[in-house]
Amino acid sequence: MPPARPHEIARASLLSADALGGGRFRPFLRAGSRDPLRGGGDAQKKPVLVFDGVQKVYRGHSGTDLHVLRGVDLTIERGEFVFVTGPSGAGKSTMLKLVYRAETVDDGRILFCGRDVARLTDDSIPFLRRNLGIVFQDFKIVPNWTVYENVSIALEVIGLSSRLLRQRVNVALERVGLAGRGGDRAGVLSGGEQQRVAIARAIVGEPAMVLADEPTGNLDPALALDILGLFEEIHAEGTTVLFATHDRTLLDVRPRRIIVLDEGRVTDVPAGLGAYADEGIEIDAEDFTEGYGDVRVSSVAAPIPMRARARRAG
Amino acid sequence: MAGSVERAKRGLYSEWRLHALSVVSLAVAFVCLGAALLVVVNIHALKERWGRTGRASVYLKDGAPPQQVEAILVALQATPEVREVRYLSPADARGQVLSGNMTDSTLKALPQEAFPASIEIDVQPEVKEADVQAMVAKLQSLPAVEGIETYGTWTERLGTLLSGGTLAAAALAAIVFGAVLAVVASTMRLALTRRRTEVEVLKLVGASDSFVRTPYVLEGTFQGALGSAAAIAILGALFALVRSRMDGDLGSLLGLDPMFLPWFVALGMVGVGALLGALGGALGLRRLTTV
Repeated sequence: MPPARPHEIARASLLSADALGGGRFRPFLRAGSRDPLRGGGDAQKKPVLVFDGVQKVYRGHSGTDLHVLRGVDLTIERGEFVFVTGPSGAGKSTMLKLVYRAETVDDGRILFCGRDVARLTDDSIPFLRRNLGIVFQDFKIVPNWTVYENVSIALEVIGLSSRLLRQRVNVALERVGLAGRGGDRAGVLSGGEQQRVAIARAIVGEPAMVLADEPTGNLDPALALDILGLFEEIHAEGTTVLFATHDRTLLDVRPRRIIVLDEGRVTDVPAGLGAYADEGIEIDAEDFTEGYGDVRVSSVAAPIPMRARARRAG
Repeated sequence: MAGSVERAKRGLYSEWRLHALSVVSLAVAFVCLGAALLVVVNIHALKERWGRTGRASVYLKDGAPPQQVEAILVALQATPEVREVRYLSPADARGQVLSGNMTDSTLKALPQEAFPASIEIDVQPEVKEADVQAMVAKLQSLPAVEGIETYGTWTERLGTLLSGGTLAAAALAAIVFGAVLAVVASTMRLALTRRRTEVEVLKLVGASDSFVRTPYVLEGTFQGALGSAAAIAILGALFALVRSRMDGDLGSLLGLDPMFLPWFVALGMVGVGALLGALGGALGLRRLTTV
């Protein structure tokens, strides 16, 4: 009998929690509370996000179906930093949208903190999102609001007292290097600064997980590395980060777990692309070019589906 | 709630041109409604006044013996349903008619005999129409009486006019309500389009629909109330202008000065404006940005 895959173990451990939770998402972050699931011990090993046979299909105008995700199985544990990469249109953004319920799965399920996201009622979606920090390529900040207002809105929605709100917003701004800039209008900031505002908004509520959807896509390489550094700092303090990018340079900065998406299927690269190289598996660097091109990891042990090209070095 | 008010204020401030345009549109719509209400209110007051007064003119035959006329006057004064009785000689009647038409040569040329003597009766307000008719029937049988005019037909005509006016005002009100809803909803949709990022951000950070919607509903309420209040102010100014130019004798003839909308109607209009504004704001946001 083959050993159980990590996601299967995780699925088993989350089933009971899901059954207890019902359809409504119960926020474990209350006003002023800290994430109780952080810290060491067993909590650190629990999966925070599980994809279980997730399928997503878009119906085209011509009636043809576009299979974005084909039975994706995936487990992300608390405190992990995971890159999601793949060619344009591979479904990276869709994958994240499914987590914060901007899209719904066609089949399978997504468990976030033990709750089946697909089963949440519309009324529960805000509670789900209060436990997530989301950062986008186009920043999604309100230009005519101040920096402070853009960040504090994430806490206003949970009705935090103004004293605590002010305190936590200031801490968040300090963490992203914008201390003392709260009064500035967000619209006049540079791209890098605007992204920092968006990151501050994402972390101010101390979410269980930060989802970053191409957060460096609109930034130059130096700024992109800067922003990645910021996410690493956030991760170092215990936050789980799911970082979607097609920027090869970011994947190479540090060995991180990488989820490669291609034609609806995922390949899990637990120790980053460098590990594959160390094992004699070659990565086609050219495929990362041209605005981002295709990500193709070559591996015999873990074959990349569809368009992946396997080329064992030597 | 304080946060919603703050965001509504910010929204009104940042999109003030859009909101000002909307308020003007609403004011125009409410002026139409207010004008219709003004007409209805005045016709109603006139009908009340005439209907309540219960007047009758008893026209006497030429050469009616003074003793008989005197006996009728005494009998009427003793009748509890009658509030006031006065005799109008042909000379008095002529003088009364000519007092308002001194320049009309045709009227001035009429002989005194053309104006019959009459007894003018004011009936007590609480007296019913049937009692008045019974009294008229008795008076009609007297030899000195030529005929009696009770003005009931005029009151009936005013009643018909009032019913028509009320119906027209109701139809106009329905149209105005529809227009107000459409204007506010469109403004809110436009504001939502211009502030799409704001709504997206709110939804992404976990704001509930009511959290997103409340400032827009408040903005709609404010627009509706301001639009209707502005309409009342415009209508008041127009009313004052028309009244200052109106012939004072018309009021005397009608027995009533034209009146503006009573305070409770004006207040009701502002309330309805606010309510419609709120409804329009909510309708404009029915389909919130789905993110």
